[in-house]
Amino acid sequence: MLKWLRRWVQLLLPPPRWQVPALVLIGLTIGAGGVIFHQSRAWSYLYDDPKACINCHIMMPQYTTWQHSSHARVASCNDCHVPHSSLAAKYFFKAKDGMRHATLFTLGMEEQVIRITAPSKAVVQENCVRCHGFVNDEVSTRNVTEKTARHGEGHLCWDCHREVPHGRVNSLSSVPNSRIQLETPTIPEWMRKTPKDGAKP
Amino acid sequence: MKSVQEMLKARPWLGGVLFAATVGVGVGVGLLLSSVATRKAEGRFAYTAKTDIAADEARNDVWGKAFPLEYESWLQTADTSFRSKHAGNGSIDLLERDPRMVVLWAGYAFAKDYSQSRGHAYAVEDIHKILRTGAPNDTDKGPQPGTCWTCKSPDVPRMMAKIGPGEFYKQKWSDLGSEVVNSIGCLDCHDPKTMALRISRPALVEAFARQGKDVTKSTHNEMRSLVCAQCHVEYYFKGPEKYLTFPWDSGFTVEKMEAYYDSIKFTDWTHALSKAPMLKAQHPDFEVFKMGIHGQRGLSCADCHMPYRTQGGQKFSDHHIQSPLNNIANSCQVCHRESADELRKNVEERQDKVMESRLQLEDVLVRAHLEAKKAWESGADSVTMKPILQLIRKAQWRWDFATAGNGNAFHAPVEVARMLGHGINFGQEARIGLALTLQRLGVKEAVPYPDISTKAKAQELAGLKMDKLHAEKQVFLNKVLPQWLRKAKEREDKLPR
Repeated sequence: MLKWLRRWVQLLLPPPRWQVPALVLIGLTIGAGGVIFHQSRAWSYLYDDPKACINCHIMMPQYTTWQHSSHARVASCNDCHVPHSSLAAKYFFKAKDGMRHATLFTLGMEEQVIRITAPSKAVVQENCVRCHGFVNDEVSTRNVTEKTARHGEGHLCWDCHREVPHGRVNSLSSVPNSRIQLETPTIPEWMRKTPKDGAKP
Repeated sequence: MKSVQEMLKARPWLGGVLFAATVGVGVGVGLLLSSVATRKAEGRFAYTAKTDIAADEARNDVWGKAFPLEYESWLQTADTSFRSKHAGNGSIDLLERDPRMVVLWAGYAFAKDYSQSRGHAYAVEDIHKILRTGAPNDTDKGPQPGTCWTCKSPDVPRMMAKIGPGEFYKQKWSDLGSEVVNSIGCLDCHDPKTMALRISRPALVEAFARQGKDVTKSTHNEMRSLVCAQCHVEYYFKGPEKYLTFPWDSGFTVEKMEAYYDSIKFTDWTHALSKAPMLKAQHPDFEVFKMGIHGQRGLSCADCHMPYRTQGGQKFSDHHIQSPLNNIANSCQVCHRESADELRKNVEERQDKVMESRLQLEDVLVRAHLEAKKAWESGADSVTMKPILQLIRKAQWRWDFATAGNGNAFHAPVEVARMLGHGINFGQEARIGLALTLQRLGVKEAVPYPDISTKAKAQELAGLKMDKLHAEKQVFLNKVLPQWLRKAKEREDKLPR
């Protein structure tokens, strides 16, 4: 076993003459990777804070419309948009979606009006049912999936509840002045400088 | 397995492939890095107004050029056509409607003039006109301090940044007459650079700090209430410096704030008839809202008073801040499925029931003040009267706390009914004490309930010379005010637009 491992390591080792450049190259890669990790707030993608979804600003219309909806009180982005069948499924989906988003955004290929994809639809539908299933027993929508709906058997939840939770239109033009507080200076500069007795700042 | 060197020896082109792949990865990493940086910078600017509104820009119409939708809806706060069952957005003379209030506030400026407030657009105009601010002129600076301006205008943070809040409060109201002219608007709640919600009045920040809380750590949803809580709260003017202070140190309830005032031996005024050391509640809207079911469920003020609205496919917060009863569809019905009529009835039922108890307490208080007056006239001593007057103070504090707020009866009907219940009890306890005292002093007849069927009769009872007050005010409005406004216009005309 150990022997086998050593052989593999040796195979990957560069020839002696190349070792210095290889080390430099690996160092650069790790360094640059670290900067990217930090700059892109990559760690935030491991958690459930909705703020992670506006690391890239193009999701802000989705964020504000959610934030002003009743769902904001009980559900985060991840509650609806990633699978909850298992931890593995959740992170696999996150990684898959994340790679797609990163690629499109880096190459400037993002759509002006962002629309949900079929795999994403399937997940959201599952999650609607996950929380609201009990209430919806009576109207028998529990067995509708993205696939059955595509084949004309049943409707997805938001085919009727069209405004839930993002509203009907959610491109940037529909929420022009819904500013997200990227930085939050909740009190003005002069007040920070004002001494305790209220004298001139 | 062969080593890489051997593989390369056999197929030299593999080195080229390896090199190209490495370059590819490098380019990819570099591209990603630069893209992250650009996009982040882009994100910062894409959501910031492309204007250069000055840090102290108090003129609302200058902001309005960049935010026409919000500005136009804000302009609608000038509408005065809506009347609900108990209030509305037009001016209603509340002393005329309920002259008992005049007796309750005898000896205090509120007995002169008290009206249902109009929309934010009228804040400055109405404080000019109200009799409570008196009639300052060249020789007399008038009764009120600069503190009275605090909640009226975005000129206030502008001036506070310039001279400091302490100095602002210390000045006379009339000293700042030509500085404070723009009505409640943009700069009061927004950062002119980022448009983020922002606290512009020190009193709220200080009240948080005294409780060991940091207001800058508030969430966006909390900020959607806190910008309102800069003004729509219970407050008092502390010490001779008239420093605006919120009495929140021990808590939000009517009892906790009373304990605070008692602990610092604070009295707003001495009652003209009963000589009781009185407290005047301002408008504890935020505090009462927090104690009601909507507050407990985590709603913010803006959820109902500034609901989302669509115009031409664009969504924005409605800046026509008003009673949700005038906009049930966008406020209540976002969550409640009942018809607008049904919802209005639900609100009115709560208001009606609270009003019943409130009016009972008012009658008790009118009687208590007059019986105390009678007791003094009949030779009562201050040792006997002190605990009785304390009870009157307690009862009227509860009445005022319940009454002074905008929408208390809706925001927290159970809490308001509770404090009115306690108020009636304290008031009647005072009257038991007064009955015994009067009996001991040999007064055989019950003190008759006065004829206070009109505001004029009640004001005469309170010893007010209304003709004089009105005449002086007219002089102020015709002679002094135009000077203030002219001076303000000259100053503002010099500013860039």
